[in-house]
Amino acid sequence: MRDQAYAPSVAEGNHVTTCINPVWPCALTGAVSALSGFDGVAVVIHGSSGCYYYPATLLHRELHSTFLVEQDVVFGAGDRLLNVVSDLSDRYEKIAVVTSCVPAVMGEDIRTLLEGFDAMLVDSPGFLGGFEAGFREAAGLLPIRMMSGLAQVNIEGINLADPFGRGNQREACRLLSSMGIKPGVIFCHDSYNHLMEAPDLSISVNPDLNAVNGTSLGSILGIKEMKSTIQNLACALEGSDPVPAEDEIASVDETIVRVSDKYLKRHDPPSVAIFSTFSYAMFARETLKRYLDAEIVFCGSRSVLPESVPGIEHVTSLSRISEIINNTCPDLVLGSSFEQSLTGNFAFSGLSPPLRGSIRLSSRPIAGTEGLLGFMEDVLNASMDQKKRLKF
Amino acid sequence: MSSKTLPLPISRTGGCTLTGALAVTTSVTDSITLIHGPDGCAHHNFSLLHATLLDNGNLRIPNVMSSGLTEDDIIFGGEPSLAQAIAMACDKQPRVIFILSTCITDTIGDDVQGICRNSGVNICYIPTSGFFGGQFDDGFSNSLIAIAKFVKEKNAWQGEIKGERGLRVNLIGEKNLEYEVEQNFLEICRLLALLGISINIRYIHEITTDDLYTLPLADLNILREPSLANVGKILLELFGVPYLDSFPIGLDGTLRFLRDTGRALGISSEQAISREEECQRSMLAEFSNLAGRKVYRTNPVDPNGSSVMAEIMGRIGLCEDEDGDGIPVPVPLPVGTCGIRRMLHRWRRATT
Repeated sequence: MRDQAYAPSVAEGNHVTTCINPVWPCALTGAVSALSGFDGVAVVIHGSSGCYYYPATLLHRELHSTFLVEQDVVFGAGDRLLNVVSDLSDRYEKIAVVTSCVPAVMGEDIRTLLEGFDAMLVDSPGFLGGFEAGFREAAGLLPIRMMSGLAQVNIEGINLADPFGRGNQREACRLLSSMGIKPGVIFCHDSYNHLMEAPDLSISVNPDLNAVNGTSLGSILGIKEMKSTIQNLACALEGSDPVPAEDEIASVDETIVRVSDKYLKRHDPPSVAIFSTFSYAMFARETLKRYLDAEIVFCGSRSVLPESVPGIEHVTSLSRISEIINNTCPDLVLGSSFEQSLTGNFAFSGLSPPLRGSIRLSSRPIAGTEGLLGFMEDVLNASMDQKKRLKF
Repeated sequence: MSSKTLPLPISRTGGCTLTGALAVTTSVTDSITLIHGPDGCAHHNFSLLHATLLDNGNLRIPNVMSSGLTEDDIIFGGEPSLAQAIAMACDKQPRVIFILSTCITDTIGDDVQGICRNSGVNICYIPTSGFFGGQFDDGFSNSLIAIAKFVKEKNAWQGEIKGERGLRVNLIGEKNLEYEVEQNFLEICRLLALLGISINIRYIHEITTDDLYTLPLADLNILREPSLANVGKILLELFGVPYLDSFPIGLDGTLRFLRDTGRALGISSEQAISREEECQRSMLAEFSNLAGRKVYRTNPVDPNGSSVMAEIMGRIGLCEDEDGDGIPVPVPLPVGTCGIRRMLHRWRRATT
């Protein structure tokens, strides 16, 4: 169904905050994800066990919590926080305290309480916003000592909750290495000590999560972005060699064009509904248009849009996503296992967390050339498998 | 050290009441559960429930809604957002709307009950209050109680009368997030069938609002575990239905379950017990090659677990030895004879 237009609901665009089956985590989870990526940092969730368990199960990192109970809230949670921080302070290089909703409105002067400890406070309660807001807030508060003149480049946008995070990190390091460049600090998956000698240049695998000062040389998410970032790297770092990376990009481009042509000889371009974070959604949209002349029937962003961008909307309600899919009847849906659970005759390919219901063991990227190849491979295989299913 | 002591043994790690309550309310399949709080609270729990349902092979998407509180609501009050969310939930035409409060809405003092009372729609308010309301288990049992009171108040059942279709029991408080919840249910059905008894409803596991209204029609309530005794007592007060305090645990415990069920319903259980004894003998014979093996087990979380494990090990002929092979002790303990059989397969693998 290619002619049905998507009609925005009353709920969207009118600042109605009510949300049915929210599919995106809160700011606290984002902040914890950013901070827990650094070895040597003890992340303390200043809140109840309910606020602790979700990030703990999502991130599979050692996290700490004040595990507040009602009495702490009535009589003050400061002593409780001090107890927990004191126990941890000898074992870690840095303590990072992240506040949940209730401590954030209690009005205790946590900053003063933490004086005397090597601790940072991240005020990132759930009601502040979504995952990215918390992630950027926390990453932006990290004590980084930037040094110019290092022949290294930081990698931004690595997120422990992202099923593509580990693959993106490896892919970014590989591409830099092919140019003769060493990676600097990996934001946010590195050791805390590494922050003390960070280069002032960065590239990103997911610009939604960029938060660090310094000079950004671009992202490697998408083919156009990769080309321009490699040129920027070559200009910024004397002695780097862009030719191997440029050759690789040209070869990958040619390969994808070839298989896409073959697909289009037999099939119409797919109509696609995309649901992901802003940068991943834009990557998917531009890539599918470029190689498959795909019709993008809807492009939805989990994260708040950084600016007014035509053709993409902020959607976090699964109920709304279901309506959109029913109204637009796409051939292919890109999203998370939430979208995959919805009924309909569509092919599905995973683009955003969570991706449950299937086993993922390898480090698959979405950024870089390998990420681009993997993405197109998934999309084409899912589309062809679906056509076979519909045929029989 | 803090000079402030905690009142009595409160667990700091018992989870959130919301998760416990949602494990119950989202299992009413034609309902919507509205969480009055920030989206994050709803997402965390929705995501957990969705993952658990997928893991259990259930593709149903739980209906969880959030009033989506933002910083402005926290400052100026969240009641208008709740009223708006209720109106939106009504548009979806659910049979019932369950409303759960969160820790932040209790902190800012929103009158959730007042908004619910004045909304004029089919609402069941469950004052969960996030961690102010206790922990996971409190949310779970309090929601079972609140919904039972809702059923009593509605008194909406217009169908058959009690006893019309023979003896029936309700299963109360199945652990909906448990991986083997369906296997345990099937085991209870098998055992009850030996007595010629059928299930009225699974309170509350994958049922509709109409099913809920038949809650009073059972002749006996069987609780999932003794910690739900308070729920059993309230159901007895509300509907006059007696209860058994647990699913069957252990070999002798399974036979006792048959005896107690028969006694509670005024029927003979001798034949059923005899058949189950034969079933147990046959099952244990499958594992006779484990006899004499040295094994080591951890202490079960359940206080009755040690005696149950000792009973099973004794019947099999396993020898407890600190240097023996480690055998897994399931949490929660296996239900009925079939649950023990599954555990013994795991023990055999661990000692091979």
